[in-house]
Amino acid sequence: MKVTLNGLRQYVDFDWSPEEVTERLTMLGLEVEGVVRIAGDFEGVVVAQVITRDKHPNADKLSVCRVNDGKGERQIVCGAQNFQAGDNVPLILPGATLPPRPGDKEPFTIKVGKIRGVESHGMMCSADELGIDPEALGLKREDGLLILGPDATVGQALALHFGRGGSDVVFDLEVTPNRPDLNSIIGIAREIAAITGNALRLPAVDRAPVLAADATNEAASLVSVRVEAADLCPRYTARVIRGVRVGPSPEWLRTGLERVGMRSINNVVDVTNFVMLETGQPLHAFDYGLVAKADDGRPTIVVRRAADGEKFIALDGRESVLAGGHLLIADSARGIALAGVMGGQNTEINDRTVDVLLESAYFSPTSIRRTSKTLGIRTDSSYRFERGADIGISEWASRRAAHLILETAGGTLAAGVVDVCAEPIVPRQIVLRHAKVNALLGLDLAAAEIESFLGQLGLKIVNRRPRSLDDPAPPEPVTFQVPTYRVDLKQEVDLVEEVARLYGVDRIPSTEPRHAKGGHAFDARHDEFMEVRRLLAGLGLNEAQGQTLISRASMAGGDLAAVVPLLNPLSSDMDVMRPSLLPGLLDVMGRNLRQKNGDVALFELGRVFRANAGGVSEGWRLAIALTGARSPAFWAGAERDARYEVADLKGLIEELFEHLGLKGWGFARRVESGGFFLESAQISLGGKLVLGEMGQLQPRLAKSHDLRDPVLLAELDLDQILARRNAGRSFKALPAFPAIRRDVAMVVPESVTHEAVMQAVRQAKAPNLEAAELFDVFRGKHVAEGHKSLAYAFTYRGADRTLTDAEAGAAHEKVLAQLKQSLQAAIRE
Amino acid sequence: MAGLLEQIDPLKAEAREAFAAATDLPALEQGKGVFLGPEGRFTALMKQLGSLAREERPAAGKAINAAKAELESALASRREELELKAAQPQNPSDFTAPGRRRALGHLHPLTRVTDDIVKAFRRIGFAVADGPEIEGEYHCFDALNTPKDHPARDSQDTFFVDTPSRPLLRTHTSSVQIRVMEKQPPPIRIIVPGRVYRRDNADATHNPTFHQVEGLYVDRGVTVGDLKGTVEFVFRELMGSDTKIRFRPHYFSYTEPSFEIDFSNALVRKLGKDWLEIAGCGMVHPQVFENVGYDPEVWTGWAFGFGIERIAMIRYGISDIRLFYENDVRFLRQF
Repeated sequence: MKVTLNGLRQYVDFDWSPEEVTERLTMLGLEVEGVVRIAGDFEGVVVAQVITRDKHPNADKLSVCRVNDGKGERQIVCGAQNFQAGDNVPLILPGATLPPRPGDKEPFTIKVGKIRGVESHGMMCSADELGIDPEALGLKREDGLLILGPDATVGQALALHFGRGGSDVVFDLEVTPNRPDLNSIIGIAREIAAITGNALRLPAVDRAPVLAADATNEAASLVSVRVEAADLCPRYTARVIRGVRVGPSPEWLRTGLERVGMRSINNVVDVTNFVMLETGQPLHAFDYGLVAKADDGRPTIVVRRAADGEKFIALDGRESVLAGGHLLIADSARGIALAGVMGGQNTEINDRTVDVLLESAYFSPTSIRRTSKTLGIRTDSSYRFERGADIGISEWASRRAAHLILETAGGTLAAGVVDVCAEPIVPRQIVLRHAKVNALLGLDLAAAEIESFLGQLGLKIVNRRPRSLDDPAPPEPVTFQVPTYRVDLKQEVDLVEEVARLYGVDRIPSTEPRHAKGGHAFDARHDEFMEVRRLLAGLGLNEAQGQTLISRASMAGGDLAAVVPLLNPLSSDMDVMRPSLLPGLLDVMGRNLRQKNGDVALFELGRVFRANAGGVSEGWRLAIALTGARSPAFWAGAERDARYEVADLKGLIEELFEHLGLKGWGFARRVESGGFFLESAQISLGGKLVLGEMGQLQPRLAKSHDLRDPVLLAELDLDQILARRNAGRSFKALPAFPAIRRDVAMVVPESVTHEAVMQAVRQAKAPNLEAAELFDVFRGKHVAEGHKSLAYAFTYRGADRTLTDAEAGAAHEKVLAQLKQSLQAAIRE
Repeated sequence: MAGLLEQIDPLKAEAREAFAAATDLPALEQGKGVFLGPEGRFTALMKQLGSLAREERPAAGKAINAAKAELESALASRREELELKAAQPQNPSDFTAPGRRRALGHLHPLTRVTDDIVKAFRRIGFAVADGPEIEGEYHCFDALNTPKDHPARDSQDTFFVDTPSRPLLRTHTSSVQIRVMEKQPPPIRIIVPGRVYRRDNADATHNPTFHQVEGLYVDRGVTVGDLKGTVEFVFRELMGSDTKIRFRPHYFSYTEPSFEIDFSNALVRKLGKDWLEIAGCGMVHPQVFENVGYDPEVWTGWAFGFGIERIAMIRYGISDIRLFYENDVRFLRQF
C-alpha cells in the first residue's frame, strides 16, 4: 500500500519528518518498505508580499525591498520596475534552484549575496524565470515580476498556489493480511490519530446537492437491485448521478493517483479509484445508459452466481468462461461485472457516458478469492475484498464518491440510495479483562490507560456499570464494541495486542530467562548426532548437507519401490523424497570433481524417506563418500600418492563403531552387488541386524558423474547404530605380566578371507591367546598363482603369571594345527 | 731411560692431542685403546711401577692415576662433541617446507550455526525436540489456526506427497509445537531445529528446502517481557554482545500478539542497514492452546522461529544460499 505524506496530512494533523513517519509506523506494525521523495514544481518558491520598496543607494535601476515570505521579513535587491509595495510576487529562497531554461549550461541556484554592496536574501521572479506562461494561468504578461494578484496566500508554496503538485514523500507500506483496514489512507491516518491523540478528519459527505426528490430523480426509481446470492454479497448499494461530463481528471486527482502508482483514466473512474485508496472500499461505476432495462423500465442489478460456461468480457478485453462458483453482477440480460474483481466492457464508462450507476458493495472474501484465482485476474479491488472489506462503510464510501464525481464531472445526484443489506450489521463485541492484558504483556497498566488506548482506536465501551472512582474493587471486565473496519479483532487476546502496539512494544521491559528445565526425547539424540559429526570430522571427513528432494532417475538401479514421489514437484530434478543419502552425495562428488576438487572425503547425516505399506517412514542415516588422494598433499614418502581404497572406508567405519561402543560388527561381501555398487559388503551387527552397506561405486555411475578415481561409498542406518551404541565405559586392569609374540606366515588360496582365518583361530581354543593381528598380505614371488601369503602376529599372555616359552609354544601349535586343518594353510617356515 | 715420573706428562699431552685429532667416534675409541686400554701405554707405564723404589711407588701410582682420570674426562668431553657431530642430520631440515598434514574434517556451516543456537538455548533450560518432515495438514496448518484459504495451503506454495493420504512437506517447524504439546503436559520448554520446505525455485536467496529453529515456552504467567528477554539473550549469544534487538507488531495466525524481530550489530551496519529482519514471534494464540487441550486461562506461552541459513549467511557473509547445498569442499573447508 502506497500513501503520500501530504495525502495523510489531509486526514490528520502530525508534524513528523519522513524519518519519524517511517520509524513510528514501523513500530506500530506497518512496516515501511520504501520511501520515495518527490520533488515538486517550483521547489523553494513561495508567495511573498512586498512591504516596502526603496531605491538602491548605489544603483539607479535597482531597488531594495522588504518582503514578507510568510515566516518573516527579508531584504531583497530587485531590478524589475513593474511592482509596488503591497504586491504579491513569487519569491525564490536561497538554496533553491530556478528551473533550467533552454541554453542554460547548469541550473541557477540562488545564494545570499551582495548586489552593489547591499545584501539580497533571495530573488523575486518573473514568469520567464519560472518558465511559466502567465496567460495560461489567467495572469497578465508584463515585463518584470510576475504579479500574483491580491488573493494569493502569503507564504504558500507557489506550486500549491497554482494547484500544481508540491513536493511529497511516498511511503510503501507492508500491510499484514489481518489488517485490510490499512489498505486505505483513512485507515493509516486513523492509526496516526490513535498514537498522536489528534482527531481524524473525515471529508464531509452530508451536504448532498441533490435534485428535488421526485419519482424521476430518486435512486430507487432509477434502479432496482436484486441480490440472489446473499451469502456471497451481504450488502449492495447503488446510486445514480445524472448528466456528468466524462473527461480528464483535475490535477489533484491525477497526481494523487499517479504518485501511488495508479493510472489516470477519466474523472469518473479516477474518483472510484481515489475513494478506494481513501477508504479501502472498492467501487465500480457503470454507464447507466448501457445497463439493460427490465420490464418495469428500470435497470435491475442482479447479484447472482454465474451459470456454468457463461462468458464474460472484462474491461481489459479479456474473455473468461465462468463457472457456477463465480459471483456475477448482471443486468436483466447479461453479466456486467465480475463481482469485486473487474467491471465488464459492455457497461464501461466512456466519453459519451451521461448517467453513472455507482456500485459500492461488500462481497465475501472467499468468493472473491476463488473468482480471482480461478480466472487469474488480480486487481486492486479483488485484493481488498479478498482480505475483507468494511461492511459498515459501503454506503458512506458511495456518498463520498458521488460527491467527488459531482465535483469533478458535474451532474446531479439522484436522491437516496438503494441499499440491500441481507442482515442488519451488528458490530462485534469483545469482553476484556484488564488483568489479562497485564498478565500477558508483563505490564501493570491502569484500567483507564488500557481503555484509553482502545478508545483511540475507535472501540467503544458498551456495558460498564457505573462505579465510583475510589471503588477499591478491581475493574470489572468491560465489553468493547469493535468498529466494523477492524475485521481482525475477534477475541480478548486481539485487544491485548492493540494495547501492546499503542503502548509500544519497545517499552515493555524484558525479563531475564527463567530457569525451568525443558525436556524432550530428541534432546539426547541431538547430542549423539553432534558426537557422530565431530568424530567423522576428526577422522578427516567434511560434512555435507544435501537436498532432500532428488530426482527419481537418480535412484535408477536402487530401491525404486521405496521412493516417495511428490504430487507437485517443481521439476523432474526434484520429484521424489530421497530414500537414500547416496544419490545426493554422488551429485555432490560429481560437482566437486567438475570444479577440479579431485580429493573429496565427505559424510552426510540426514533424514531419508521411504514408502512402506501405503505410508511413509522417516529415518536418520549416515553416508560416507571418498575419492582421490587418501592424505593431504605432501612432498615425500612412499604413500603420498595413495588413493582411497576399500580398507580406508572400512577403517573409518570401524573407528566410528568403536567410539560409539558397538560390539560384534561384521562386514560380509555380497555375492551379487547391485544398485550403486560394483563390489560391496553388508555391514551387520551380531551377524543379523543389518546396519548398512559399503563398497565401491559401479563404473557406469562413476562415469556419469565424471568420477575417475575409485569412489568408495557407505550408507548406514543411524537409528539402529545409535540404538545399539554403548556409551558406558568400564576399566579393565592393565596386563600385569609380559606377553610372548609368535609370528606366522602362511600361504592360502585367494578365497580364504581374514574372517575365515580368525574363525579357525577361535576354533583352536588356544589357551592364553590374547590377540591375533594380520600384519602382511603378499602375492607374487614364491607364492603360487591364485594364492596369497598372510602374516599374523599372535600374542600370548597369562592372566596370573608369566608364561614359559614352552607354554606359549604349546598353545601356538594348537593354532597352527587348526589353520592347517581348516584352511589347508601352508605354513611358511 | 728417563724416570717414570718424567714420562707421564709427555704421554698425557700425546694422548690429549690424539683425542683432539680423532674426527669421529671410532677414531676416538681407537685412541682410547692406545692410551687407556688394557694394552695401552698408560697400562704399560703402570706395569713399570714395580721397577721403582718401594717408597716412590705410591706417589708415582697416584700421579699416573691422576693423569688417567684427567684423560678419561677429556675423552668423555671429546666423545660428547663427536656424538653431537654424528647426530647432526646429513642435510639440515628445511623448516619452511610444508608440514605433513593429517586431514581434519569440517562441520557444515549449518551444523555449526544450529549447534550454537542449541547451546544458547540449553544454557537457559531448553531441550531439543524434533518431529517429522512429512506432515499432515492438521499439524502444519489447522492446529496452528491458519485460515482455511491461506495461500500456504496451496499446491502452488507447498509440496504434497503422492501417497493416498496426500501428506505435505512441512512449511515450518511450528508443526512440532503441536506434536509436542499433544504429547506432553505443560510446562514446555523446547527448541526445534529442522528442515522445512517451500515450493520456491532455487536462486540466491531461495532453496526448496531450508532450515528453521522454533522455540516454544509454555508455563504459568509467561509474558511478552519473557519473550523479549529470551530473544535478546539468545541473539546476543549468537550474534555478539553488541547486538540490538527490536520488536515490531506483526501478524501470524498462531500467535497473538505477534511481532517481527529486527536486529542490529556491526555486521548489519556494514551492510549499510540500520535493522535486519531476523525472526517472527509472539504469544501462543489461545486457539492453539485449545487445539492441543491446554487451558489458555491457566497457561500462556510464547513461540518464535527463524531461518538458520539466514543467520549463517549474515554471520559468515555468504551471499548465495545454494552454496550450502552444493557442498563444494572449498566451501566446506572454510568452516
